[in-house]
Amino acid sequence: MEFAIQDKVDPQSVSKRKIGVAAVAALLVAVLVFTGAVLPAEYGVDPLGTGELLGLLALAQVIAITTEESEYRTDEYELRLAPSEWVEYTYRLQEGGTMLYTWGATGPVEYNFHSAPDGAPPGYAESFDSAESASANGSYVAPFTGVHGWYWENAGNEEIVITLSTAGFYRDAHVARDRADGYRDLLDARGDPLD
Amino acid sequence: MRVYFPALLLLWMLFVPSVADLSAHPMDTQNAAFVQGVDGAAPAPFMYLGAKHMVTGYDHLLFLVGVIFFLYRLRDVVLYVSLFTLGHSVTLLAGVLLGLDVNAYIIDTIIGLSVCYKAFENMGGFERLLNWRPNTRHAVLVFGLFHGLGLATKLQEFTVTENGLVANILSFNLGVEFGQILALTAVLIAITYWRTRPTFERHSFVANGALMVGGFILTAQQVYGYVFYP
Repeated sequence: MEFAIQDKVDPQSVSKRKIGVAAVAALLVAVLVFTGAVLPAEYGVDPLGTGELLGLLALAQVIAITTEESEYRTDEYELRLAPSEWVEYTYRLQEGGTMLYTWGATGPVEYNFHSAPDGAPPGYAESFDSAESASANGSYVAPFTGVHGWYWENAGNEEIVITLSTAGFYRDAHVARDRADGYRDLLDARGDPLD
Repeated sequence: MRVYFPALLLLWMLFVPSVADLSAHPMDTQNAAFVQGVDGAAPAPFMYLGAKHMVTGYDHLLFLVGVIFFLYRLRDVVLYVSLFTLGHSVTLLAGVLLGLDVNAYIIDTIIGLSVCYKAFENMGGFERLLNWRPNTRHAVLVFGLFHGLGLATKLQEFTVTENGLVANILSFNLGVEFGQILALTAVLIAITYWRTRPTFERHSFVANGALMVGGFILTAQQVYGYVFYP
């Protein structure tokens, strides 16, 4: 198929007046869309009242609060780790469930924070934070429903005590550990034996 | 089948992701966290970010739509796109390597105006109203330089580590070109098809008007951001 070579709208077919009107109209439409839709939706500014009228203002609202259905808990645990012993401590969290945490140890431990979604094959976990440290704190929002928690390992030669404080919307604490010989079982915050 | 292309163009402008973000297209927070965590060369992720930036970066895309609107021969498309690529690659590399600290709002305002310029030129505005027409090739090259500065400021908003910096910028740049080819192919197919329809002659003027509206909205956003969110 043959095309005529042209690199713009044929000048003869468009009058000066039409181009001028089109350019000014383009500017006006842009200003109208910007003040009528973009300002309320993006910045929460509503000079024409269209944001209120069309419900666009809601788009500009920052979601600062997420309400939770489940029970709010605060817990504090003390864990003792003999040399070369490890422990895994997890909670159940629903997707989007939040938790604040802080823990400190009497000496450096190897740790990671990891999560396993419900239905994942055994041994599968996603690790979010992993280092050697004597403390860590932060906030956690569960990316999926499943078990979420810490793994600590005492690579040193002396017993280490870890104190963990958590607050948030989690449940069902679970502890798994590889105990050194003769080591006693853990108690949870209520004084009940774990597992 | 009668396809009303100006309407499609407007629809596309409305529904392209993040169409009205504060800066034209910030990398989302997850990507930002990744970039900040990188230490060393990470070619594939940076290439992906570059391509994503281009495909979802409607300011660059609108400009390219304007540039290829009346280019009928593949040779011309390649020539103009090469000029644009040359321009933005030079300033992307130089900008990040020299650590040029350019205000992103000003650059993005110029990028918005580049869309208006090209639409106005496509309408025949320069010749008819001003009796003067800028050299299109020079203009595309110069605006390419500005688009590259925009890319550089976006990349520099994150603390990119010195370690593997050159490899990462080059990867980002390469990704930008892949994204550009991807987007251009789609645009070119659509426009080429449209040219075979009688509606092209009738509506190409309106389509460039719509392009100009898009350019002005981008410009207004950046000016507003510059004034109220410096």
